[in-house]
Amino acid sequence: MLATDNLVVAYGGSVALHGISMHVGSGETVALIGANGAGKTTLLRGISGLNPIRSGSIRFDGQTLGTLASEKRVRLGIAQAPEGRRIFPGLTVEENLILGTTPWRRWGQSPAKDLERVFDLFPRLKERRTQLGWSLSGGEQQMLAIGRALMARPRLLLLDEPSLGLAPRLAEEVYERIREIAAAGLTILVVEQNTVLALAVADRGYVLENGRVVLEGSAAELKQDARVREAYLGR
Amino acid sequence: MRRYDSLIIAAAIVVLGGLLSLVLADYRLRLLNVSVISAIAVIGFNFAFGLAGLISLGHAAFVGLGAYTLAILTTALGWSPWLAIPVAILVTTVFAGMIGYPLLRLRGHYLALATLGLNVSFTIVVTNWITLTGGTNGISGIPELRLGGFAFNDERRFLWLGLVLLALCAAFAITLQRSRHGRAMMAVRDDETAARMTGIDVTRVKITALCLSAAFAALSGTLFAAHVRFVAPEDFNYAHSIIYLAMLIVGGEGAVAGAVIGAALLTFLPEWLRFLGDAYLAFFGLMLLAILVFLPTGLVGLTGRLRRLGWGAKVERTP
Repeated sequence: MLATDNLVVAYGGSVALHGISMHVGSGETVALIGANGAGKTTLLRGISGLNPIRSGSIRFDGQTLGTLASEKRVRLGIAQAPEGRRIFPGLTVEENLILGTTPWRRWGQSPAKDLERVFDLFPRLKERRTQLGWSLSGGEQQMLAIGRALMARPRLLLLDEPSLGLAPRLAEEVYERIREIAAAGLTILVVEQNTVLALAVADRGYVLENGRVVLEGSAAELKQDARVREAYLGR
Repeated sequence: MRRYDSLIIAAAIVVLGGLLSLVLADYRLRLLNVSVISAIAVIGFNFAFGLAGLISLGHAAFVGLGAYTLAILTTALGWSPWLAIPVAILVTTVFAGMIGYPLLRLRGHYLALATLGLNVSFTIVVTNWITLTGGTNGISGIPELRLGGFAFNDERRFLWLGLVLLALCAAFAITLQRSRHGRAMMAVRDDETAARMTGIDVTRVKITALCLSAAFAALSGTLFAAHVRFVAPEDFNYAHSIIYLAMLIVGGEGAVAGAVIGAALLTFLPEWLRFLGDAYLAFFGLMLLAILVFLPTGLVGLTGRLRRLGWGAKVERTP
């Protein structure tokens, strides 16, 4: 469904990604793991069209994305719950979610069904639907960010560090929901520093170091790999 | 309650303004007309500044373009003002869209400076294009608005027309603000990158906000021209853009009711404080500073504060 080929991204003179080739198949959940600064977020931003790529290509459903604008990529079906959630602070929970329908909404189309689905997944958001974005806790904001991305009716969901800054129990709860979303058939690419959580939901994974893919394999293989165990799982 | 806010505000404008029109004397009525005309411009400014977060200091140029278009069409070409008003709004909106594409690539201070430049350029052009605009002499002899045998030729009658138009503008603005299109503007203001990731076409939203603000400005300008029946360059210089900004900040940015309250207050305040003489400007500056520091949400933000202090149960957002 998604494939990058020899992707190079640079900020000014410093190269952040040195030729990344990876792919995500339809219905898969794929994890990108690696330390801080490995280039995981840069890769996701490149896929979303927020960072210009220097060379290489990104293909989605056989179509080359090239320099396509971010909002058009969302329309094609690539939605992202970004790093740091980026909730709209001055809008209510419900308004944040409804804005997520922008890519497909036309006159007279109702977001009610989509809203109901997100509220079923995250009942907490339903309780808080009239609260302003800034007043939510970190966990609720993460749920809202994921919910807002789902409202776009994506075919590929990009998640950037969904566990960042959350207490362990909350992080597990968020991942429980991600597992449900994946079980419903959505294709997911998740970037995560918490390797244990990410490999627990993923089918496959890529390990990034200094802007390069150093290891790839099924989640089970990665969990057993000596380097991964030492560097990321702490055992 | 929130569902009917647009109707409540529209009714409040017509009823309150209507009552005042019966009790006030001629000079106060004139000020009230000026308030109403300014309020329409400030409601428009709120789309660009309050909702979409575009720091525009050229709003008076749009008001002026609307006013001059009406003045030229009615005097030089002899058009009916009723026909000239929509044409003036259209011309101004198209102009805003055209300059919006290059201008809105700029952000923050740069956009503020560029729009200020636009306003200064507008003043220079209308001052020097004498064959079309009459230069500093302006254009006089703009015909009065009339409906059948009823001419809106005194302050009271004009006020009734202005109030109805202001009420319509306010109701439309509140409805739009509460729609997903209004929310999209606020999303662009809060976080452009997140807006883009949500699938919002940021450029289109900004251009729409600027065009809407220009359309309201143009309506305000045509009413100004039809009210005073004379236009001159100094009525639309950049100082007026800053006054529109001050009106919105005093009333409460992001709020239609705030735009109306701010416009009325800053029109009447100089009259109430006339005894201060030149010291008024110092008072005005200090007042603006105090509002920015203590009441960043403007006067309409006061109601929310009072509620939080226990004057009501739930804190609601002002319209």
